[in-house]
Amino acid sequence: MSSPIKSEPFVINVGPQHPSTHGVFRLKVTVDGEKVVDAEMIIGYLHRSMEKLAEERTYTQNIPFTDRTDYLSSMSNNLGYCLAVEKLAGIEVPERGQAIRVIMAELQRLASHCMAVGAFVNDTGAWQTPIMWLLRERERILDLFEMTCGARLTCNYMRIGGVAFDLPKDFVPQARKLIRDMPGFIDEVEGLLSENEIFVARSRDIAVIPPELAINASLTGPMLRGSGIAWDIRKADPYCGYEKYDFAIPIGYRGDAYDRFIVRLEEMRQSVRILEQALDGLPGGPHSTQVPLALRPPAGEAYARVEGPRGELGYYVVSDEGPSPFRFHIRPPSLINLSVLKEMTVGGTVADAIVALGSVDIVVGEIDR
Amino acid sequence: MTREWTGEELAAAAERLVPGSVERVTPNACYLKPETLVQTFTALRDDPETDFKYLANLCGVDYWDRFEVVYHVHSFEKNHIGLYKAETRDRENPVLPSVVPVWYGAWIQENETYDMFGIRFEGHPNLKRMLLWDGFPGWPLRKDWLSMPGGLQPGLNEFSGVARRQEPPVRRYEQ
Amino acid sequence: MTTSFLATDNWWDLRDLSNLSGAILDALDKIAPQGVVYVAAPIIGFIGAFALFTLLSQLFIGVLGERKIIGRIQSRYGPNRVGPYGVLQPIADVLKLLTKEALTPSTADRLIMYSAPVVFVMPAILVWAVIPFGPNMIIADIPISLVYYLAVTSIPVLVTFMAGWSQDNKYSLFGSMRVVAMAISYEVPLVVSLLAIVVLTETLSLKEMVLWQDTYNIWLLLVQPLVLIIFFICASAELNRTPTDIAEAESEIVAGYLTEYSGMKWGLFYGMDIGYALAASAFAATVFFGGWTLFGLEEWVPPWIIFILKVWAFYFLFIWTRGTLPRLRIDQLMAFSWKYMLPIALVNLLVVCTERILWTDAFDGDKPFVYLFAIVNIALAIALVVGWARFVGYRPERTPSRPRLVREAGGYIPVSSVSGEGR
Repeated sequence: MSSPIKSEPFVINVGPQHPSTHGVFRLKVTVDGEKVVDAEMIIGYLHRSMEKLAEERTYTQNIPFTDRTDYLSSMSNNLGYCLAVEKLAGIEVPERGQAIRVIMAELQRLASHCMAVGAFVNDTGAWQTPIMWLLRERERILDLFEMTCGARLTCNYMRIGGVAFDLPKDFVPQARKLIRDMPGFIDEVEGLLSENEIFVARSRDIAVIPPELAINASLTGPMLRGSGIAWDIRKADPYCGYEKYDFAIPIGYRGDAYDRFIVRLEEMRQSVRILEQALDGLPGGPHSTQVPLALRPPAGEAYARVEGPRGELGYYVVSDEGPSPFRFHIRPPSLINLSVLKEMTVGGTVADAIVALGSVDIVVGEIDR
Repeated sequence: MTREWTGEELAAAAERLVPGSVERVTPNACYLKPETLVQTFTALRDDPETDFKYLANLCGVDYWDRFEVVYHVHSFEKNHIGLYKAETRDRENPVLPSVVPVWYGAWIQENETYDMFGIRFEGHPNLKRMLLWDGFPGWPLRKDWLSMPGGLQPGLNEFSGVARRQEPPVRRYEQ
Repeated sequence: MTTSFLATDNWWDLRDLSNLSGAILDALDKIAPQGVVYVAAPIIGFIGAFALFTLLSQLFIGVLGERKIIGRIQSRYGPNRVGPYGVLQPIADVLKLLTKEALTPSTADRLIMYSAPVVFVMPAILVWAVIPFGPNMIIADIPISLVYYLAVTSIPVLVTFMAGWSQDNKYSLFGSMRVVAMAISYEVPLVVSLLAIVVLTETLSLKEMVLWQDTYNIWLLLVQPLVLIIFFICASAELNRTPTDIAEAESEIVAGYLTEYSGMKWGLFYGMDIGYALAASAFAATVFFGGWTLFGLEEWVPPWIIFILKVWAFYFLFIWTRGTLPRLRIDQLMAFSWKYMLPIALVNLLVVCTERILWTDAFDGDKPFVYLFAIVNIALAIALVVGWARFVGYRPERTPSRPRLVREAGGYIPVSSVSGEGR
């Protein structure tokens, strides 16, 4: 006697302004009850046409652009671009410059993972307690950056041929103090969250990505490693002397959000190991080679990539012997990691969609450039 | 260290798998013919010797007379990388086959290339402008965008070939 | 009744506030017409219990104290700009809320939307009528005050649904649907577990429960620890506090049923949220922690001070869990309530009924057997909670909390091929 209850799907806009979309990112979710039926992302709110603007500026003037793509990991961005241009122009970086680059890149990885893990846990609803602790530690790293290059966030520190300034006197002692405290602190965060039943229930088996899909969808970074694929550009294609340092890369078991979380925490520990070795073996000498002010690399193209905190950050630079690049393309890890957004969110609830988005760890500056 | 394949090696591998797929060879890249592009890439992906399972980068470049789309493909197990390219000389309506059937991760990057250059990819499941909105005039990363009909006026610098713009009329708000 | 209660009957003896109110009512009776005293009595009670205690506690312990304590949990200061140590922060908040522009969507249902905050406030005031602050300090000493409490605290569920529905906003609708589903599923274990208390103390009146605890010189939290745990979790859920605050989960649906409220309407919701939390704390302090008694100390310290301190101490537990735990998803919450808490509550009820029968029939109501039952119940509580968690909850071997480490980059490494690592 009862007619079946009719329900029709309706569209929720997890809109550009939302407490937890990591930037101006819009996600149109079609929901049937609490289950997600379709998810579509709309980006471009932060498009600043960097690739076009870079064609009008010299190679060195483009370095601040790269800061602002992924503003939470600006040192890695700078590094990738400088590597690409050095590959084009055939410039060698001195040893001290390489060691300083490694130190900065690993510090930046720590800072970025602090923010990423904190934002992810915030998405699961932990009321800002872990993110406050992590941001407290990130402040120490940003103090180190400010001491070196004057800026906390958009550092603009790497130059083509090395780094801009040498390390100040206080850098090494303060950095050593930081890496002495860091493992204990990571253990603290882990103790709060990794075996917390609620957190595990919220993030386990959410947004599972099988390894074949991960490879086919060009994922990189903790997303790839969370699915069990042992790939890290620092190991496979070492740059800046990474082959000298002894570290391991963490890989996950199943490819769900919890695996990516523990992979990121473990990467923080491995970064601390690299930092110890780099600070111990810091060579003397010049910190950069001299390059002409208006650098004109020979005609050709180069693709260089670094392992940023979010994944493989690639720069494709084409030169036509002019003072500015002919084509400057950034391969953003966050954008391509979002290829599988639909596969991750469809079938779960809206809360799971938010958690899945948090585990991808996007930065919209990088997506939109 | 990742080994970078030279152009000849890439051409040899492509010819071996799909004869007649190579258009021309440069020292570090291999141009493929658009007609057999998807077939070649599928064969390159599945062949155990080349094992190009991973698409690292897909982007477009506008050389003044032609459009190119570059594909950086990569293998995890073998740890080598190769650079394939596909080009089209049609400036008005460039069309290339889409490699989404081969690598799923190409769909966003092809959307972005379409958005910036106007290159249509046939066979793409959902080709739309990703970073800019649907009614945007022109294709921004083309070299001649500023002098296209509907293209915008330059902002900061002077560009060769374009006359310096007039001052835009100042809008006064109604009192 | 406590055997020796040193408070006298003078109106200035503040250890028993009923002296003061009694004196005022007597004076009114003399000078006012017949029957006015019946109107004045609840008003005096309202002023004493609600206006003076609850409102000030809401402002200073709820708004300011909660934010400062959560700030300290998060290794930062709480509000400390407005006034010394931030003590004027609640006043600044109230002023801000009063002067805010109250936006209303044009397609919202105005009657329901405007009346929802008002209806939300009423049960928060009504519930304080039965909370005993001291032996004679209850506004309405009815013999069924437990049932009254449960009934009155179910009204806010309806109000949140009213609020969410009337705003014509998808997020609000989501929030209110979730709230209704969750509240219904958490009422049941709450009531079933409180049945155990009723069976043990043979009364439905809150004052009698305090007197029972005084007579047997033991707190009900020791005799019935499971009921306290279940009450705490269910009260958190009814009050929409983390870890169960899906109704206004800020990171998912912006603010749930509060999305379109601004200004003092939102302020009423927020303040009365704290008020309900204080009411639940007061209930818990009465039933589980011994109310106004403290093993004889209430003869020296005014009992209402003891009671207020216990209320604040229990409220601290709410704040603590809010600052620490992440949020559960709606289906996990429902599963938790129906599959875990209800069976535990029923098992507890069974055990208590058995104990009660044994106690009255076999042991003839001897006092020391209550302690025996307390020990048995505590052991049972530990066994049930730990056992349930061990068998049904998180197990490290199923979810390893450290990833595998490899030294060489390569391709996909399936799970079982790295030796020594768990699944």
